[in-house]
Amino acid sequence: MNSLLELKTAMRDERTEVKPAKRLGTNVSFDRDYGDTVGEVTASNARMVCRDVNVFYGPKQAIHGVNLDIGRNEVIALIGPSGCGKSTFIRCLNRMNDTIVGCRVTGSIQLDGQDIYDPQMDVVPLRAQIGMVFQKPNPFPKSIYENVAYGPRIHGLTQNKAELEEVVENSLRRAGLWDEVKDSLDQPGTSLSGGQQQRLCIARTIAVNPEVILMDEPCSALDPIATARIEQLIDELRMQFTIAIVTHSMQQAARVSQRTAYFHLGKLIEVGETAQVFTNPRHQLTEDYITGRFG
Amino acid sequence: MDKPTLLLLILVLTTAGYYFGRKRSLDIVSGKVQELHSLPSYYGYYLAMWVGVPTLLLLLIWLGFEGAVLSRLVVADLPGELQGDSGERAALLINEIRNTMAGAGSGSGDPSIQAAANHYRHLQAVSDWLLSLGVIALAALGGWFGHRQIEVEQRARNKVEKGTMVFLIACSTIAIFTTVGIVLSVVFESVLFFQKVPVTDFLFGLRWSPQMAIRADQVGSSGAFGAVPLFTGTLLISFIAMVVAVPIGLMSAIYLAEYASPRVRTVAKPLLEILAGVPTVVYGFFAALTVAPYIRDLGQSLGLDVSSESALAAGLVMGVMIIPFVSSLSDDFINAVPQSLRDGAYALGATQSETIRQVIIPAALPGIVGGILLAVSRAIGETMIVVMAAGLSANLTANPLAAVTTVTTQIVTLLVGDQEFDSPKTLAAFALGLVLFLVTLMLNIAALMIVRKYREQYE
Repeated sequence: MNSLLELKTAMRDERTEVKPAKRLGTNVSFDRDYGDTVGEVTASNARMVCRDVNVFYGPKQAIHGVNLDIGRNEVIALIGPSGCGKSTFIRCLNRMNDTIVGCRVTGSIQLDGQDIYDPQMDVVPLRAQIGMVFQKPNPFPKSIYENVAYGPRIHGLTQNKAELEEVVENSLRRAGLWDEVKDSLDQPGTSLSGGQQQRLCIARTIAVNPEVILMDEPCSALDPIATARIEQLIDELRMQFTIAIVTHSMQQAARVSQRTAYFHLGKLIEVGETAQVFTNPRHQLTEDYITGRFG
Repeated sequence: MDKPTLLLLILVLTTAGYYFGRKRSLDIVSGKVQELHSLPSYYGYYLAMWVGVPTLLLLLIWLGFEGAVLSRLVVADLPGELQGDSGERAALLINEIRNTMAGAGSGSGDPSIQAAANHYRHLQAVSDWLLSLGVIALAALGGWFGHRQIEVEQRARNKVEKGTMVFLIACSTIAIFTTVGIVLSVVFESVLFFQKVPVTDFLFGLRWSPQMAIRADQVGSSGAFGAVPLFTGTLLISFIAMVVAVPIGLMSAIYLAEYASPRVRTVAKPLLEILAGVPTVVYGFFAALTVAPYIRDLGQSLGLDVSSESALAAGLVMGVMIIPFVSSLSDDFINAVPQSLRDGAYALGATQSETIRQVIIPAALPGIVGGILLAVSRAIGETMIVVMAAGLSANLTANPLAAVTTVTTQIVTLLVGDQEFDSPKTLAAFALGLVLFLVTLMLNIAALMIVRKYREQYE
């Protein structure tokens, strides 16, 4: 309880001396302190670099000055109690927040050195590079085949039908769904079970060959067996993609991720190696959360 | 007491019943409400029901049968030479007696009629007196019985809830029985028509010319009742209307649901729906006086032969009229597509128009089709615009520039003015109405089934 009060006081203090959010250009070095965040914010092999990210919903600030790197071929888990801003943060990474009226993002988020909030940036290819899997499986009301073929089609990734079929088969194989659906590709995607639907959504995402995959609580609507299947899949996908996953399950974070970031009330409290965060948290709030004192 | 006073008395007695029921329940537990099964007000309603329902029923039944019974009694007492007539003569006689009684009589010269009127007036007074007595007795009986029923363990709440439910069921059946009544009346008249004109002639005949000689010795055509020109006229105008309404309505729905900012939407949607509130007769003279001459002039300048009343004018204006149907329903169904589908498409890098064309519209399509079918049934049944703008000549043509006529227009023309209800000319209107009713009914059922199926998919 004390620590919570301390945090609130700290936040209030910081708000009085809050720096104006700066839009940082590309290739600016970030040799500055990373606010109150404990642990290793930077990654040696960073694919995405977020600096001083603030998100506002109208007048309300949802994210306060988050600094975080997401490394190549790593799975980073974002954990924290409900309403702590982890979903909001992950939606900033492929500009999905653009679709929310009244949402404003300041600060800098770079993908491979390119500022994705640059006014020149075109969100259509950006979202092809940074795919997203949602909390609830959301297959389109089309056939299984069309669900997976949709992305390659709109981006013109294939030359002919044979190539497209190959992409669809490959994506379904990599999502571990091919054997279950290869005879029913013309069935509606909505006819699959929840776990299958979620794997279909993953197949749909990897069909456009993104660099980063964002997952917003991908297993929260699934049973333990389907969850285990998806977790195994995440581990396999790590070889090719960079993955950021929001999860409410600390066991899941421990199982699938290499790094873990703990969010609290819109601030990034602690980030570090997953094993270290779970066995030896450095911040009192992180310890309270992972030991189940609140959350 | 006359009937309005009696109704007032029943209301007063019912209110009193509520008051005494409530008081009685409080009295038996000497104010300790928690010892009662139900709240005191339920005991009030319970007693009020015992007082109000039987008396109101008695009043209704009395009102229903009083006229018939009194008439019969009066007729039975009439002198012999006036009796013996049945049917229309008897009805006329009763009318005359009643008129005389009201003082507005024209035939009061006849002393026997005058006597009958006095007799009638006397019977009426007796009847009112009996009714008042019955109502008061029934109220007293119901009140006494209900009052005696109120005890600590009496389940007043459950009984009042049940009474409320019965009342609601009664209300909802009124609409159903009205529909059944309409169908039956149309069916009976149609059967009469089909006895005179064969069904096949009506449904497949190509010539519509309902003018018939009313008397056998009159010179005139024998009439032709082939309804095909009317069906094609209706379909032609409905088709033109849908060609106007579907694209415009759908596209404005897409704009409102997907592109418009919330501010634009809150202003534009009600504005669009105002179109649905314009009386159809206003659309009618807009079509007849503004659009039709414009189309004719335009056609003439292009060297086309356009009649002054054309299917095109009526169809265009009708199309404008049903835009709000299509757009409002489509807008609802587009909004009902879950946000997660949009997110899924955007997250794959789809543009807004790709998302709308390839994900949202296919997902909303069943609902949109249902909305369009409802609009079609509305277009087929529309009357005022076509009466004023489409003309009366039953041409069997697919040319939108010619004058055509529709089923609804013909029903109006057949039934306007002095009519004989045993000539095929008049009865034809009912047959047309039956066909119209069946077609729109089927369209509505199809639309509702499609819409319901779609609902199940996402909820």
